[in-house]
Amino acid sequence: MKLQTIFASALAFAFIQPAAAEGQNPIASGSAMAWQCAPCHGTNGQEFLEAMPPLAGMPAKQFTEAMIAYREGTRPAIIMDRVARGFNDAEIEAMAVWFEKQPVKQWENTSLTESQNAQKANSTGGQK
Amino acid sequence: MSQLENKTFDQKITRRDLIKVFGATAVAGTGIFGASSKAFAKNAQHVVVLGGGVGGSTFAKYLRFADPDVKITIIEQYPEYITCLRSNDVIVGMHTLDELTFNLDTIKSKYNVNVVIDKVIGADYDKKTVRTEKGETFSYDKLVVSPGIDFKFEDYEGYDAEMAEGKFPHAYKAGPQTLELRRQLLAVPKGGTAIIAPPQNPFRCPPGPYERASFFAEHFKKHNPTAKLIVLDPKDRFTKDGPFKKAWERLYGYKTDNALIEWVSGSDGGRVVRLDAENMMVETDGGDYKADLINIIPNQRAGVLAQKIGLTNDSGWCPIERNTMESSLHKDVYVLGDSSIADAMPKSGYSANSQAKVCARAVADTLKGEQPGTAIYSNVCYSLAGENYGVSIAAIYEVRDGLIQPKGESAGVSPITDKVTQPILEAVYQKNWQREFVKDVFS
Repeated sequence: MKLQTIFASALAFAFIQPAAAEGQNPIASGSAMAWQCAPCHGTNGQEFLEAMPPLAGMPAKQFTEAMIAYREGTRPAIIMDRVARGFNDAEIEAMAVWFEKQPVKQWENTSLTESQNAQKANSTGGQK
Repeated sequence: MSQLENKTFDQKITRRDLIKVFGATAVAGTGIFGASSKAFAKNAQHVVVLGGGVGGSTFAKYLRFADPDVKITIIEQYPEYITCLRSNDVIVGMHTLDELTFNLDTIKSKYNVNVVIDKVIGADYDKKTVRTEKGETFSYDKLVVSPGIDFKFEDYEGYDAEMAEGKFPHAYKAGPQTLELRRQLLAVPKGGTAIIAPPQNPFRCPPGPYERASFFAEHFKKHNPTAKLIVLDPKDRFTKDGPFKKAWERLYGYKTDNALIEWVSGSDGGRVVRLDAENMMVETDGGDYKADLINIIPNQRAGVLAQKIGLTNDSGWCPIERNTMESSLHKDVYVLGDSSIADAMPKSGYSANSQAKVCARAVADTLKGEQPGTAIYSNVCYSLAGENYGVSIAAIYEVRDGLIQPKGESAGVSPITDKVTQPILEAVYQKNWQREFVKDVFS
């Protein structure tokens, strides 16, 4: 193999593998991170009746912009600034893509099958 | 043909659906009419969950998300579960115990989980079985244990478990003791004194004793303004002490002559060493205190079941592998929630829920012969310093250098500002959180 080709594929590999600077964990999957939001935003983000906003079906762009603004302190927050500072851009994107695909309805009215199909809506950003 | 009228068959079910839900072997073996919601493939892998509280129930639900085919059984001692979270509300009448009482009916029906009401009395880790009080034996491929806490009454001379069921409730597991403590709070005479003695670290719900203290002070402010609460603490710091003390200053005259609440730190002799029940008195490192109500919240260790089946180490808690919650002492056994040693994570219901989700993925991955993915945990504790005054602590966690540690710059408590919207909205969020949280756990 030509040196050029090896170099090119190494470069390509570097781009498909978005994770981890040295010493850092690879990023968790979008759903693994999204599950952690459920106690406040409902299972799979499907809580539409409370003060905390539902995340299911939220356009990915809206989610991403909000989280980054919370993290950077440019959007007023009660608690989400502290939460958002735990996530980098790639992680926020992975959650955004996953939440966008969740059914826009109350969790208690969602069947397991319906949910299991949505659970497969893994983001492209993370592993698994 | 009565089976045809069974609700199970009212819907259109294709053979393919059945294979998807129950696995090919079950369908092939039993024929379509033999399938019920309890049917699993004979060779289906079996995950047995001990404890149907926050950790166990969340785990079962989310394992079903991660694995549609695995057989899941929860073995829980009691048919109903009262959440410890928000039980402080019951003491001051903001919630009833009924409103905090849940069962596993939805977990059973919606997530296809076997629920067995029985008490586990032993485990055989070589044979991979657990035994119950009613004489049943369950085989498992993976065992998940979420046993809560136990109390170290022996740390207090003159106090024991029986007294806690009687005149000196700790009320740190919700139930009859919670109601007894409410009765006693309402009975504090005009100008009387109440004592709350929080435990040494680590313990369940780190803000719990201080929220309770706040509620007592608020109750006195409204109904018995010459009464006083004294918090006798073995520690010099406690969680969210900044925002809590600011709230006490704002609401209860903390550090003034008319303070409804006084806090004695460990350095100032606050540690309670003895209860003198007859004279309604406690002895501390700094002297004796007499009171009309004495609420000792004892030091803690892992739940009795964890001790009994050998999951604890010398610390009294359960060591775990940080990426998966698998016991460091026994393979294929996992420990969730308060009992586990989870480093920076507090022993909270939120933590148990978070750990259950990480564990569910790890168990599902391992059963498929795959390597578990990166673990990510979180915790948010909302507490009330008054009915409409919330304070919070929040963090996202990752595993770093072999420990569960805050990720990025996420860890933080409520800022202390002059904005009244902060504590008011935190109180609103707290109430929202409670409703959503129990849904995420039990439905």
